[in-house]
Amino acid sequence: MRKLALVAVLVAAGVTTARAQTQLVIVSGLGGDPRYTREFSALATALAQAARDRGGMPDSAITWFGEASAPQGEGPWYRGTSTRANVEQTLGRLAARESEEQLVLVLIGHGSGEGAQTRISLPGPDLTAADFARLLDAFGDRRVAFINMTSASGDMLPVVAARGRVVVTATKSAFERNESRFGRFFVDALSKDGADSDKDERVSLFEAFHYADAETKRFYESEQRIATEHPQMADEGQLARRFFLSAGAAGAASTDPRVVALYAERAKLEERITALRARKAEMTVEAYEAELERLLVSLAEKSQEIRRLERGS
Amino acid sequence: MRRWALTLLVVPSLALAQADSLTTRLTAAIALHERGERARATRAFSQFIDIYNASAARLTSRELVAVAIACTYLGIDDPQLFKDALTAFDRAIAVDPRNIDARVRLAELFLGKYNSGDAKATLRDALAQDASYVPALVAEARRRDFDQEPGADSLLARALRADAEHVAARTLGARLRADVEDFAGANREIQRALRADPQAAEALAFGVALAVVTGDSSTAQTLRARFTSRYPRDARAHVATAELLARVRQYAQAASVARQGTTADPSSWAAHSTLGLNLLRLGEVADARRSLETAFAGDPYNVWVKNTLDLLDTYGEYDEITHGRFRFVIEKPESRLLSLYLGPLMDRAFDTFVRRYGFTPDGPVRVEVYRSHADFSVRTVGLAGLGALGVSFGNTIAFDSPAARDAGAFNWGSTAWHELAHTFTLGATDMRVPRWLSEGLSVYEERRARKGWGQGVTPAFLQAYASGRLVPASRLNDGFVRPEYPQQVLFSYYQASLVCELIAQEFGEKALLDMLQGYRAGQTTEQVIRNVLRMDLPALDRRFDAYMQERFGRTLAVLGDESPNVSQRMPSQALVARAAVQPRNYGVQLAVGRALMQRGDTAVSVAALERARALFPEYAGGDGPYPLLARALLARGDKLGASQLLLAMRDLGEFPHDAHELLGDLLLQTGDTARAAEAFEDAMFVNPYDIGRHETLAALYARLGNHAKAVRERLAVLALNPVDRAQAFYLLAVAQRDAGDVASARRSVLRALEEAPHFERAQELLLALRARGGGP
Repeated sequence: MRKLALVAVLVAAGVTTARAQTQLVIVSGLGGDPRYTREFSALATALAQAARDRGGMPDSAITWFGEASAPQGEGPWYRGTSTRANVEQTLGRLAARESEEQLVLVLIGHGSGEGAQTRISLPGPDLTAADFARLLDAFGDRRVAFINMTSASGDMLPVVAARGRVVVTATKSAFERNESRFGRFFVDALSKDGADSDKDERVSLFEAFHYADAETKRFYESEQRIATEHPQMADEGQLARRFFLSAGAAGAASTDPRVVALYAERAKLEERITALRARKAEMTVEAYEAELERLLVSLAEKSQEIRRLERGS
Repeated sequence: MRRWALTLLVVPSLALAQADSLTTRLTAAIALHERGERARATRAFSQFIDIYNASAARLTSRELVAVAIACTYLGIDDPQLFKDALTAFDRAIAVDPRNIDARVRLAELFLGKYNSGDAKATLRDALAQDASYVPALVAEARRRDFDQEPGADSLLARALRADAEHVAARTLGARLRADVEDFAGANREIQRALRADPQAAEALAFGVALAVVTGDSSTAQTLRARFTSRYPRDARAHVATAELLARVRQYAQAASVARQGTTADPSSWAAHSTLGLNLLRLGEVADARRSLETAFAGDPYNVWVKNTLDLLDTYGEYDEITHGRFRFVIEKPESRLLSLYLGPLMDRAFDTFVRRYGFTPDGPVRVEVYRSHADFSVRTVGLAGLGALGVSFGNTIAFDSPAARDAGAFNWGSTAWHELAHTFTLGATDMRVPRWLSEGLSVYEERRARKGWGQGVTPAFLQAYASGRLVPASRLNDGFVRPEYPQQVLFSYYQASLVCELIAQEFGEKALLDMLQGYRAGQTTEQVIRNVLRMDLPALDRRFDAYMQERFGRTLAVLGDESPNVSQRMPSQALVARAAVQPRNYGVQLAVGRALMQRGDTAVSVAALERARALFPEYAGGDGPYPLLARALLARGDKLGASQLLLAMRDLGEFPHDAHELLGDLLLQTGDTARAAEAFEDAMFVNPYDIGRHETLAALYARLGNHAKAVRERLAVLALNPVDRAQAFYLLAVAQRDAGDVASARRSVLRALEEAPHFERAQELLLALRARGGGP
């Protein structure tokens, strides 16, 4: 039963982390061509909007550095040019704050280089994988998601990855240098419907990654092109499923003892469903489905009752 | 030459016995082989190796050729010895570069081992030495035929001018004529060859084949007896017969004869491969594999067999789905998706054709769908590079999946319909229908099946007709089997369908059925036309010309040049003036309209495009006036007008594959939900891989109350592996509930909740379904 106990711990931990405050820092680099400049800007804007509108994040928790010196796009998130100095200063400031805040750092643009010298093209000096590793180390034990959606980003993964960090790159190596589609789908996952595969009304970084990965593959297949990007994710602390681009403000817990009891019963049912799914291969289809239905009906009834009581209160 | 060196150590003394005439000994060894005394023949051939090893340096060029020929016989049982034959030929040529016979025999060895590239180079050298050397001319004709290069006929004619009784030339001539189903001509050639040499093996073998295919059983029996008595234990007559039977699509009979060949001569690898390939055409995959593996072990040079075996190795990656009267064989990644559409489509086609042709195929029809065009090509002809989209072997049909080509490149639904029509026309005639009629009927059936399907008339077709580049109706088969230019095959498909339309229109549908019955009875095209249409072949040609003039005469008069002298660089005024000069020239009006539109003069371009449309209203191609006019209408926001125009275009003939979705979108935006659904439904036979389209169509069908199709669309979404599987299962459950299938809905909603246990709407649906009592 060691496995079940672990699941229970994770569920409990999920409640805690969902409540953590989040800081989103978007760094969009040089376009080098008006089309890319527009596209990077549009992606950054869409991501910031999703964080605010879907994740409920306050504008003050969203920072966007881009190619232009003047504010661009919609929204109040634009904080200036994406220079190395600006990015370093902001990350340093956030790291220095004494809080439980989690950080989501997103890179949009063109990438180049190899290994620790993999870089994002910025106005002025670039930032490399080694730079980001150093900057993120300053966050200590705090949860960090590093999402590098640039081309040729793959080599950054092993350099930046660490326990307590979710690291995503659009490509598997520095040699996948063609224009990347992954970023668009990743932002789609957070800004549109379709990625919330567990239907908990939130899109975790895990769900966003898998949505974008699947849609990237589908893009190359449907266009009958050879895939020139293979997204990857490092998630040493198994955080991605519980990491959300959201304010983390949870509603007040119910004090109604009936609701508290129903939540407890529902949690037990969830554990039993998880355990049943783990045994699926060992069971006959009929036995599995009968038991699954019994548990899911009970779960649905509990959920219905919880909703009824919560709405009533 | 490692093998030869080893032999030298064992029997050096034999070298001393080198004959004064190796060619005499070779003739004797060949005679043993032909008489079926294979063991003795092998011993005799083996001695040539010993002689070579002992005294290669002293052998003359002719003697080296004899050694090489002996090696080719030994190569039947040990294919590695073909390499030694090659070495001996090379040496023979090195010893005497003027030995043209050595070069020609070397080329023949290359051709026998399917290496036409080296055969070509070798024959080039031979013909450079003597451009009128008949065996070289015949071998080069064979090589060109092998490579499907033009010129085989003229080379053969040159050879026969030099030696009218050349047996190999006459035999090859017979084969070439048989290829175009001119069996009478082929027979004349073979009779002449046999008069020159009544015992010639290849001529006798092909004579048997011709007699079998033309149903002349007494001649077949006589020639077979003569062949067998002269060449016992020889499968060449079986192989020639099986190959020719396969050529005329008599695959079952071909397999049977090839099987007899493997019994007559178990080391006839050609008999094994012919058996294997024909079994595969019959859908007997396991037996086919066994024969092909035997063939390949004996003849590892056969690229057709190798490719086919490689393909068979991939069959584990296919699903075999039994669907009523069909067995679908589709690659796993798309079998669930494609079978959703293929099943109902094939059912409808089957029922239509049973009614139409009064024939029901025996057993299930095997339908193979290939995601790789190269695999389809290997399945069809054993090699990559076939241009066709589909093939019918009778009860087995195969075609490209929509994934095999660029998105939207072809309509896989109409392709499947076309191929299944062949299954019926082939079956109804005992596989005797000629290619032109079978293709003509298939295209004709496509057009009748669905709006926007099936080839329609094109300017290029009419220009080919006007310039006399179409084959006469009475010789349409030539347009398929021996086209004079690449486009002629394509034109022949449409022309054949027009001949069918003409016959249906002027003689009634029954005449087409009577023609099929005539072919079934073994009649020639001449007899069929005379018996059913009561006319001779020249009269058919005249009737077809009259039909063309009646149907397209007005258009032919205004078609204009293929490349009118209209340049993008001309000023707008000059373009308008150019159009005014030739108002009744379709090519000019279209080119002017297009040029004006490309530079943004949309309003002015419309007048020219409207004139082009009025001049050639039947042409619905993507490069005609309709799409440009639709663009002009859209430019001024007239979506209704554009959709009406596209509908009119679709009703005319083969609709451009990428236009279905545009039409669907426009109809949707103009509120014509029913026809929008129809257009999106059509689009699925062009590109079924767009999840968004399936979701749109599912919602449309739900709105239209067509719940069965809404369910199908939701299943299609799931078959495409959406990221949000919980949502996809939930929406499937909703569709199934709406269709009244509560049990399936309950299973689907459980799948949704299995993925996402907290999915609130799915939970509500599950509880509601339980309340309705749908058991799993």
